[in-house]
This record gives sequence, structure tokens and C-alpha cells, in this order.
Amino acid sequence: MVETCGTRCYLNRMSKSKQEDNAMSFGRLTKLALLALLVIAALPLAAQDDQINMTMWVRTISFQTQALVDEWNANNDSQIELTVIPSGEFVTKMGAAIAAGEPPDIASIDLIYTPAFSSAGQLVDITEWVRALPYADDLTPAHMELGMYEGRNYAVPTAVDGSFIIYNVDLFEQAGLDPDNPPSTWGEMLDAMRAIDALGDDIYGYWYSLGCAGCNAFTFLPFIWASGGDVLSDDYSEATITSDPIVRESLEFYNAIWEEGLVPEGASIDNGSNFTNAFAGGNIGMAGTGNFSLSRYKNEFPDIHFDLFHIPGKDGGTASFGGGDVIAIPAGTEHAEEAWRFIEWTLTEGPQIDIYAANGQIPVRLSLADNEYSREDPRFVTSGSALSVGHTPYTVVYNDLFNDPNGPWLEMLQVGILDGDIDGALELGQERFTQIMEG
Amino acid sequence: MIRQAAVWNLSWEQRRKLTGFLFVLPTVAFVTIFFIVPLGLTFFISLHDWPLFGDRAYIGFSNYSELAADRQYVKSLNFTFRYTLLITPPIFILGFILASLVRRKIRFVGIFRTIFFMPVVIGLGVSSLLWVWLLDDRVGIFNKILLDLNLVPKAQLFLGRPNTAMNVIILSVVWKTVGFTMILLLAGLQAISDELYESAEVDGAGYFKKLFYITLPLMRRTIALALVISVIGSVLAFDQFYIMTRGGPRNSTISIVYWIFNNSFTYFKMGYGAAMSIVLLGILVALTGAQLYILREKD
Amino acid sequence: MAATSPEKPQTLSGAMTQQEIRRLRRRALLWLRYLVLVILAVLFLFPIFWSFINSIKLPAEALAVPPTYLPTRISFDNYIELTTYGRAGEKGQDDLGLIQHVYNSTVVALITVIGSIVLSTLGGYGFARFNFPGKSVLFIMVLSTLMIPFQSILIPLFVMLVQVKLHDTLFGLALVYITFQLPFGIFLMRNSFLAVPHEIEESALLDGCSSLSILYRLMLRLVLPGIVTVAIFAFINSWNEFLAALIFMSDQDNFTLPVFLTMVRSGLWGTVNWGALQAGVIVSIIPSLAIFLALQRYYMDGLMGGAVKN
Repeated sequence: MVETCGTRCYLNRMSKSKQEDNAMSFGRLTKLALLALLVIAALPLAAQDDQINMTMWVRTISFQTQALVDEWNANNDSQIELTVIPSGEFVTKMGAAIAAGEPPDIASIDLIYTPAFSSAGQLVDITEWVRALPYADDLTPAHMELGMYEGRNYAVPTAVDGSFIIYNVDLFEQAGLDPDNPPSTWGEMLDAMRAIDALGDDIYGYWYSLGCAGCNAFTFLPFIWASGGDVLSDDYSEATITSDPIVRESLEFYNAIWEEGLVPEGASIDNGSNFTNAFAGGNIGMAGTGNFSLSRYKNEFPDIHFDLFHIPGKDGGTASFGGGDVIAIPAGTEHAEEAWRFIEWTLTEGPQIDIYAANGQIPVRLSLADNEYSREDPRFVTSGSALSVGHTPYTVVYNDLFNDPNGPWLEMLQVGILDGDIDGALELGQERFTQIMEG
Repeated sequence: MIRQAAVWNLSWEQRRKLTGFLFVLPTVAFVTIFFIVPLGLTFFISLHDWPLFGDRAYIGFSNYSELAADRQYVKSLNFTFRYTLLITPPIFILGFILASLVRRKIRFVGIFRTIFFMPVVIGLGVSSLLWVWLLDDRVGIFNKILLDLNLVPKAQLFLGRPNTAMNVIILSVVWKTVGFTMILLLAGLQAISDELYESAEVDGAGYFKKLFYITLPLMRRTIALALVISVIGSVLAFDQFYIMTRGGPRNSTISIVYWIFNNSFTYFKMGYGAAMSIVLLGILVALTGAQLYILREKD
Repeated sequence: MAATSPEKPQTLSGAMTQQEIRRLRRRALLWLRYLVLVILAVLFLFPIFWSFINSIKLPAEALAVPPTYLPTRISFDNYIELTTYGRAGEKGQDDLGLIQHVYNSTVVALITVIGSIVLSTLGGYGFARFNFPGKSVLFIMVLSTLMIPFQSILIPLFVMLVQVKLHDTLFGLALVYITFQLPFGIFLMRNSFLAVPHEIEESALLDGCSSLSILYRLMLRLVLPGIVTVAIFAFINSWNEFLAALIFMSDQDNFTLPVFLTMVRSGLWGTVNWGALQAGVIVSIIPSLAIFLALQRYYMDGLMGGAVKN
């Protein structure tokens, strides 16, 4: 049980701690439930008419969602039914449901898709409700920005995750590196990779999944940002791939890793299948990843001693890709107000600490990032603080640019890093980015 | 019972016609509702600028005229036909060899037929996932065996180069589908009477003479059926590329249905995807017609 | 066959008779045939066998680089992960996530099988034994269903199902599956009926039996192999279908097995849990394989009768 602690174990652990902490409210809850039962038994028809049943869709990401819904259902008249959609097909499914006029009442959407949905008028405008929140400014800024369209709010954060570098402490020690003092520039990273790579034929300095478009938006873009560069202009209106020298240098950096054989050859085609598996093999020095993978490493691979550092810029500085999910109300639902009541509740301190933080998830309110649970494991403080340097591109064509496995972002990386044709890669990227952004 | 009287007034011939029509009516109804009508809607959509959600606009045949300028569309068509041309011979040759091997009623032959047919019962999606894993450079067994036997210096990235990717995908699909072709060909083989072969042997005919003058001509109908099914399946190939290569490396394995799927569901350009589907349907009808014409009975 | 030497055996000892030589040769050929068959069988079985071996490794070992040949310890943790996925928060009966999805797939498969059998048998009989205007046009129309990438009519189909409130129901999904079984089913059953000699039903017709009772009492038994074949393919295809099942179903309780398995094995960014994947592969193969093995006697005849005779 301890070895293979998955979702279930988490939730058990959580409910256990709940029982201890809230013995009082548990008793009250039982009484309430009994009372409710009586009322329902007495007025079966009326009760059924009043009952609000909502559906909520999430993609396979968050451990805490089931716990949130269970907690809500236990304490409220309205009931939420949760449906987990395979993450690779979430947008397909959501698009089809909207096209057929059958969207869910609540949707937890990968934040980068939010502009595509809100600009098409598919989400309920929640601006007034958001403004009424006393802690509106405390919500993670990247997610709030992605949830805006033309100055109106359409979504709030529900699962937040920033990218960072995970490193193998044992390999650092064996290579004579100081695990307490991880690299802070590209040069230092390269040196560390070379030292670790020299430990053996099967040991590699780094891992990236160069067949996975989204993985590299998440873990490679921050290298560019941390150095003060970007692939899109500040107002996201045009591509700056050829005009920004940092983009070229970042490709050269990753190309050097490939040319020197500091990553396994399989990294060149990995479509994400091994994005987290690779580091779990124990023979990889460093890899870009996010908070979503930490619990798995911790519980399923206890032999691997790892620590984290923020993604560095060329000569210092750090950045992170603000990823995760926002929660929104699709247009057309009859239960918008009740849906908001649920959403608002998830943002309050109780669930943020007892459900998010207790499950190793980062709270969506910045001021809660430092809490009793994260203090137990300093690594979670590092992963949580990544969001303070978090950034997310705002564009309705994000998917076509960055996430599409057949799109320009991945092709540019492959041509530049694997083929070594940096000029060709930059031109190709600039041309196809521009094409897509101009429609 | 006026209606019944009306039916009874029909001649026997007419009643047969009506009965026959009633027998096929449920099928025709299903196909009309779940195929013809959606197909009509698809054609309707193809005349519009139709994002998956948001505003739609009628644009006539613009989606169709756009096709010619779509480099990826042309590339995908090329790729799909190349794939079809490459995969059809192995399926047929191996299918024929297997059918010949399990043709006679020797002992245990049923077990062998079953084993060769077994992969057919696995879904293509599942089998594609299975093969991705078998071919993986880190956890895959193929590389492990090749390395342990010292046949390769280091782990091979089978799905990493356009040519090897094509080859291993063909290998996996042949594995999954050849059993079906085997059974069809086996049926054709067994329909040929042994007497024909015996009299040919008396005349001194060798193996290849018998193959080309008896077996293949008499199996024309079976071969036509197997060929049509196999070619349609290959032209509509999607799962294997979607799962095994995601269209990579460098977008070299995007089949035509994959491109339709991408446009409709990833780029939300429903109208454009629909136009491609209609064109593809036309191509397939022509292709199937041509095959049936070439393999028609010439008597 | 090369002619054997015509000369007669000179001595009795040592030399073999011509007959013996022929017999030996035949036996050698037979053994060669078996050798080839066994080698091919091993190659064909290997992927499935290997998948099974990995599904019973410990989850961490299933990820080992390089892979191990045999499990160091037999474990069903990968299967347990399948049964506990999804509704882990609630206690007790909800741990049976896998069972629910197996049930859904079974229901859809059964409706599809029954519907395909009924429609294909009726339609096949109609197309084989009756003449009516427009017959060939209708026949071609049914067969042309094979030729459209069904991804492209998915959205129209979904919109239509929503209109009649059949989306998000196992029944609605099965209706669509039935349609996609029809070209093959109709083709096969038509040929099966064509293979039955006309004389058999002519005498019954003269006796005044109705067409339906002829079909029911007389013909069904004769085309049983064809029916079983239609049933097997209807089962296999509906059991394994993924995309339509994903699009049409909104409620997680209605998800079929392939959708559920995709959910279990895929994490963020397409990360794959290899151990759970192999367990899922095995779970999804077993029913198809069992049904196929149980009925294989019929379906061989069915495919043969349906494919060749005309």
C-alpha cells in the first residue's frame, strides 16, 4: 500500500486526517444528513424537484477534484457528477458537446484553451462574481489572465502547476556536484550534465521529450523567458522567432545537449509517454517537469532522491510556465448560479488547505502557497514558488501553435535541435507561426 | 380488412417483390438514418466556414478549391497511397502462404488457424498501443532481444525515422489483419476441387503452373473481395498513425483521415474537414470500382 | 511433383521400395510444414504473450529499463490499479470502476450483436432471394457505408442523437455501431443465402409457407455459420471502438471499456503507465478471444460460405 500510493491512498490519507481534525463537524454533519434524509423521505417529490444536479468535466490531471466534489456533495443540496475525460481528447470531446448543445454545467479546462472557448462566446461571463471576491487579487495571475477576454472574466484557477527542473541528488553527488547548490545558468547546467553523463554509458545528464509538443512548451519556453526573450511579441500579435536573438541561443543550447549525447537517443521521438517515466529510471541527471509528477516520484519511486530548482535563464534569472486548469461555466447551462456557488467554495481557505495542500497540490491563492503541508516537504515550496515567476502565452491559436504534435513549435524544435539546422528552424517557425496567427 | 384485401389482390410476382423489399427495409432505414443523412449533413457543412463552435457562414465551394493549395493535404494523399501500395502485397502474400499452410486437414490445423486469426480480434487502437510499447527503445522487448543477441550496436528508434516508422507500422498492421485475409483466401482455396489439381498433376503441371492456371484464376472473386476490403481499410487508416507516431517524425506519417481529423477536431475547421471527407469518398468509390472492374468475371 | 525413378528395386535389403520413399518424402514434407507452422505461430503469439507477462510484473518492474524477461515476482497490482481507478474517493462498491465499464461494453456489444444479426439476416435474405426494383442501388448504398471515414460523420451523428435524446445512452451508441456492421453483415448473409440450393425453399413455397416462416423454420439453420460470423465481428468491433464512444457519452458511468482504459493509462502530456496499459490490453482482449474461441467452428464455415459462393 505504501509502495504504490496512488490516488486512492491519497484520498484515504486525506479522509483520515479529516476525521481527526474535524471530529466535531463530522458529528454535526451526520445529524444534518439524518435530518436531510427525513425531509427527503417526507417530501420525495418536492425534494426531487428542488434538487439541482450538475455535471462537471475534468481531464485526467488533478487528484483533488474527486475530493472536492465528494465534499461538496456531502454538504450541499445540489449534487455534482464528475466525469473524467481522457486528457488527450478533452478538447475534441468538449468541442463536440458544445456543437451539439450538450455541454457540462462546470468544466475544468486546460488554461491555454480558455481564450479559444471564451472568444467564441462559449463560457458564461463571471466578471461581477469575480469582482465580489475579497481575495480576487490573490488568485494566480497567469490563470486569471488566461481566463479574461476583452476585459471580462470567464474563468478562475482550479489546478495550478508551474514548470521547474527536477534533479537526481545521488547522481549529483556521484558526479562531484553540490546537490545543495544546483545550476543557475545554462552554462552551469551543461557542465552538470557533462559531469553526470561521464558517470557511465547508461547514465545521461538530461531528458527532454522531443516528440511531445506540449511538454516542450511547458519546459523549454521558460528557458527563453528567463533570459528575457520570447517567441511572441508582448501583445501576442506577432511571432518574434527570427527577431529575438534569445530564441536562437536557446535552440543552440538544446542542440548542444543533443549533439554531445547528453540525452538518451530515444528522447528525440518520445511523444510524452516517457515525459515523467524517464526520470523515474534513475539514470537521468535532470529533467524539466511540473508539480503533477512529484507525488508519483515520491510514492512510487522512493529510492530516487530528487530535488528541484527553477528553470534558469542564460546568465541567471528564472522563469516557469504557468500551467494547469481553470474552472469555468459553459454557456447554456441552467445552473450557472449554483455552479458559481461551487466554484467560489473551492477557492475558499478550507478546501485550499485541507484538500489541495493536504494532497500535495499547490493552492490557487498565492498567499496560501506557504502552508503547514508544504512546510513538511521543502521541495513543495520550491514547486509552489515556481508560479511566482510563472508566465503563460495568451493566444486563441495556442493549440495550433504549440500543442499540436503536427504544428510549427515541435517541428521547429526538431529541425533546430535534432537536425542542427538552426537557421532553417527559425525561418520555418517564424513563417508557420505567422501563417497561423494571421488566420 | 381492406388493406389485406389489397395485398391479396396483388399477383404472386408483385407480392414477392413487396416481401423482398420489406425484408431489406430495416437495413435500408438504418443506413439512411445513420449514414445517408449524416453524410448529407457533412456535405452541407462542407459548403460552410464552420468552426466547431462559433458563427458559421455559407461560402459555397471555397473549401473544395482550397484543397488544391493545401500542401499537407497533397502530402497526406501521397502518403496514404504509398502506404496502401506498400502494405497490400505483404498482407496478400503472407495471407496466401498462411492459407496454403493451413488448408489441408492435418492434425492441429485448427489450433494454427486460430493462432493466426487471434490478432484480428484485438482492436486496432489496442494493438497500436501494444506495438508502440514493443518497439520502444527503453522498455521495448524488440530492442532488448536485438541488443542481447548483439544484432544492433545500440537501441533502435524504429518509429523515429520516416522509413523505419513506415516499415514497423506495416509490420504491426500485417500482424493484426493478415488472419482475416488468410481466412478469406482459405475459403477460396477450399472451394477449388481436388480433382482439378489431380488431373493437372497427371498432365505434369508443377506448383507454379497450378498456381497461375488453376488457383489464382478460380479465386478471382475471393481475391477481389479481400483486395477491396484491404484497400479500403488502408486508405482509411488512422488509429495506427494517431497512436504510434502522432504523425511524426517531422509530419511524415499523416494519413489522409488523420489530416481530416486534425482539421475537424484540433483546428476546429469542420467545413474544411467535411470537404476533404467528401473528396475522399469520391476517390474511394472510384478506386473500388476500378478494382472490381479489373477483377471482374470475364465470362 | 517430380517423377520418381521408374527402375524397380533390385535388392530387398537396404533399398527402399518406391512406395516407402514416397511415404518418407510425404512425411518429411509434413514435418517441414509443421516446423514452419510452429515458428509462425510463435511469432504471432509473441506480442500478446509478452503483454501478458508484463501485466503481471510489479508496476515498477514493468517500467524497468532495460526490460526484464521474466517477472521477478508475480503481482496483480496493475490489474488492481484498473479496478480502483476513478471513484477511489468513495468507499465500498464504487471500487468496482472496471466492472461498471465492462458491463457497459457488454450491453453495447450485446445490442449491437442482436441488431446486426436481425438486420443482416433479414436484409441478406431479401437481397439474395427476391427481385424488386432498385435492389442493386440499395445494395450498393449499404456497401458504400464502408467507404466513408466515419470520423467525418461523427459530429452530424452526434447532433442527431442529441435531437432524439439518445446521446449518452448505451442504446444510441449501439444503434450507430449496428449501422457500421451492416455492409459486412449484409454482404456475408446475402452470400450465405445464395449458397443454399433453391430447391429447398421452393417446395416449402409451393406448400404455401410464408416467406418469414421459411426463413425462420428452414433457412436459419442452414445459414447459422454466417450468423455466428456476423455476431463475432459485431462483438469484436463494438467491444473495441473508441472515438464514437468517447464523443457520444458524457456521463462517466456510461463510458465503455476502451474509453476507460485510455483514461487509466494516460497521464498529463500523454505520459503512459506501461504496466496498467498491459493489464488493460489483456482485459480487453479476453472476452473477444473467449467468444471467438468458443464459436470458431462456425465462423470458419460462415466466412467461407459467405465469401466464396455466389
